[in-house]
Amino acid sequence: MPTPHEPAALQVTSPTGASLGASDPAGATGAAGAAGGSATPARAPRPPRPPLVRSRGRGWTPGVSAAVARHLGVSVTLVRWCFVGLAIAGGAGIAAYVFLWALTPEDDGTNSAGDPVAGTLPAERRQWGAVVAAGGVLVVVGAVLLTPVLGGSVIGSVLFPLFAIAGGAIVAWSNLDEAQRSRWLGSGQSRFGWMRVALGAGLSVAGILVLVTRGESVAAVWDALLAAVAVLVGTFIIAAPWALRLFGDLRREQVAAARATERADIAAHLHDSVLQTLALIQRQSGDAAAITRLARAQERELRSWLYAGPQGSQSTLAAVVTEVAHDVEDVHGVAIDLVVTGDRPLEPHGAALAQAMREALLNAVRHGGSPVTAYVEIGPSGVEAFVRDRGDGFDIDAVPPDRLGVRQSILGRMERHGGTARVRQREDGTEVELRLPAIEGELP
Amino acid sequence: MSTPTPTGGPAPGRPVRVVLVDDHRMFRTGVRAELTDAMASGGVPACEFVGEAPDVETAVAVIRAERPDVVLLDVHLPGGSGQGGVDVIHGCFGVDTPGGTPVRFLALSVSDAAEDVIAVIRAGARGYVTKTIGARDLITAIRRVADGDAVFSPRLAGFVLDAFGAAAGEIAEVDEELDRLSAREREVMRLIARGYQYKEVAKELFISVKTVETHVSSVLRKLQLSSRHELTAWAMGRRLL
Repeated sequence: MPTPHEPAALQVTSPTGASLGASDPAGATGAAGAAGGSATPARAPRPPRPPLVRSRGRGWTPGVSAAVARHLGVSVTLVRWCFVGLAIAGGAGIAAYVFLWALTPEDDGTNSAGDPVAGTLPAERRQWGAVVAAGGVLVVVGAVLLTPVLGGSVIGSVLFPLFAIAGGAIVAWSNLDEAQRSRWLGSGQSRFGWMRVALGAGLSVAGILVLVTRGESVAAVWDALLAAVAVLVGTFIIAAPWALRLFGDLRREQVAAARATERADIAAHLHDSVLQTLALIQRQSGDAAAITRLARAQERELRSWLYAGPQGSQSTLAAVVTEVAHDVEDVHGVAIDLVVTGDRPLEPHGAALAQAMREALLNAVRHGGSPVTAYVEIGPSGVEAFVRDRGDGFDIDAVPPDRLGVRQSILGRMERHGGTARVRQREDGTEVELRLPAIEGELP
Repeated sequence: MSTPTPTGGPAPGRPVRVVLVDDHRMFRTGVRAELTDAMASGGVPACEFVGEAPDVETAVAVIRAERPDVVLLDVHLPGGSGQGGVDVIHGCFGVDTPGGTPVRFLALSVSDAAEDVIAVIRAGARGYVTKTIGARDLITAIRRVADGDAVFSPRLAGFVLDAFGAAAGEIAEVDEELDRLSAREREVMRLIARGYQYKEVAKELFISVKTVETHVSSVLRKLQLSSRHELTAWAMGRRLL
């Protein structure tokens, strides 16, 4: 999004644009700031001004006042009162507001200037908010017009319809705002959105009618109205195919652009990961163990990138156990076949089991033989973990007391957390079994 | 068990005739070389490569012409209607070996994605192993599939336990129930997930290897026939891709 940064860049070179922007809200879009900047001498450098962007969903307003306030570094309330004051004194405030609304780009959430939680507001609330805002503006305008001090024939016949048109436009435009966000009438388009378009259009048409008739009867302008409608319909018929084609082209281009972006993302990822690893492998082609380790680590990374499921977060037991196995694999270069079923949030007992499992895996890769297999079953009746190797194994009673690995790290740790651990000597290897009982009151 | 175990396959002395379907030539060459080496060192059942194919159409043609005992089938293949191994199995429906037993498929995949594996199993494959499997284990698996038994890797066993809710404690009241595993089947699956060979499972549970094979075949049947939501959802997801 290059546009939002443009004004900021201009403002840095000519900080005096601030005064222009304050006196004329429209100038804050950057054009006026740039034009006036060269005429005034430069002042001491200041920190760069935040770009003039609206952050959607801050409340129920389109965020123009907040954007202007943030950009100029003044309070939001002050900006709002300025707009209201200008609106009462002849309507310039409304024009400026609508103008800024239409021309100020919207922050898509990636910009740090916006509120980080701004994007989480539900769309429905924003939609209602826009209508409430438009209605509020209309009520204020109506109240102002009805006061006898300001009320007059000129205001009644010209300003009121103008406001009605503006109000209608606001209501309809707020919908365009939404539509842009949901990629041109995408799935997010609700019946409510269409209702609002109809409402806005009706309001504008009524305003235009009142303005044109100037209090006379509709019959007086009937012929002209008919002719205008005929021209409009004719234009629509002529322009429709062209517009449709343009729309189709636009969609095609958007799809192509999306594909290109996706492709670029994949290419970038492959370059960072697979190609780098392949280069490393070529350089270390003499060291078989290193190649195996590199290939294994890369395979895992690529898999997690391709098949990353909903359990990608690090706060579940399954994720932690998987990470533990990967760590051991990385350090010792021995492949570990890990199967995990079920999942549950991580708590101290689960973490202890993961640590004990790390020790068991380390023992298996150090003293056992491959393949090392690990199976973790996380169920409502508890957690069970099995680590198995195919080596000669070790005798738990023969382990000297100073070797704390098995005794403390596995057996002791599991017992401290209410679980059990067992080391089984098999004909062709060793199997460590770790068990944790279910957590009370936290059954999934 | 009331479920009849599929039997048949090549006579004990005769080598298993194998067709290898994979779109990576290097992988095909590698598997052939590895298996030939393993057989040369002895101690494993004999296999004979009678053909290979890189895509769906060639695979169907080769399998229909050669009528092998076992097809080693990659899950992801070019051609067909885009479903890879599933298309090959559908295209070879009803093809029998010269001995009269159906041609059997063993899925071979690098994919960890459950929907890929479940889809090819539900299409009719009798087993699933990962491409990192050792040569000797692969030959054992080929022979087992040729004999009509099922071959589950630890990972597939893990999928099964998850998909049937067995890991969460759901157990069938009667063995015939298609949507859940029986207690014994769950035990067998758990041991396979722990990396046990069939004979180790048999020893652990004090049953015969043949009974283990019966249990695994029964799980395979449930996997193929069950209308359990998780399984149909996975299969659907693959079909819609």
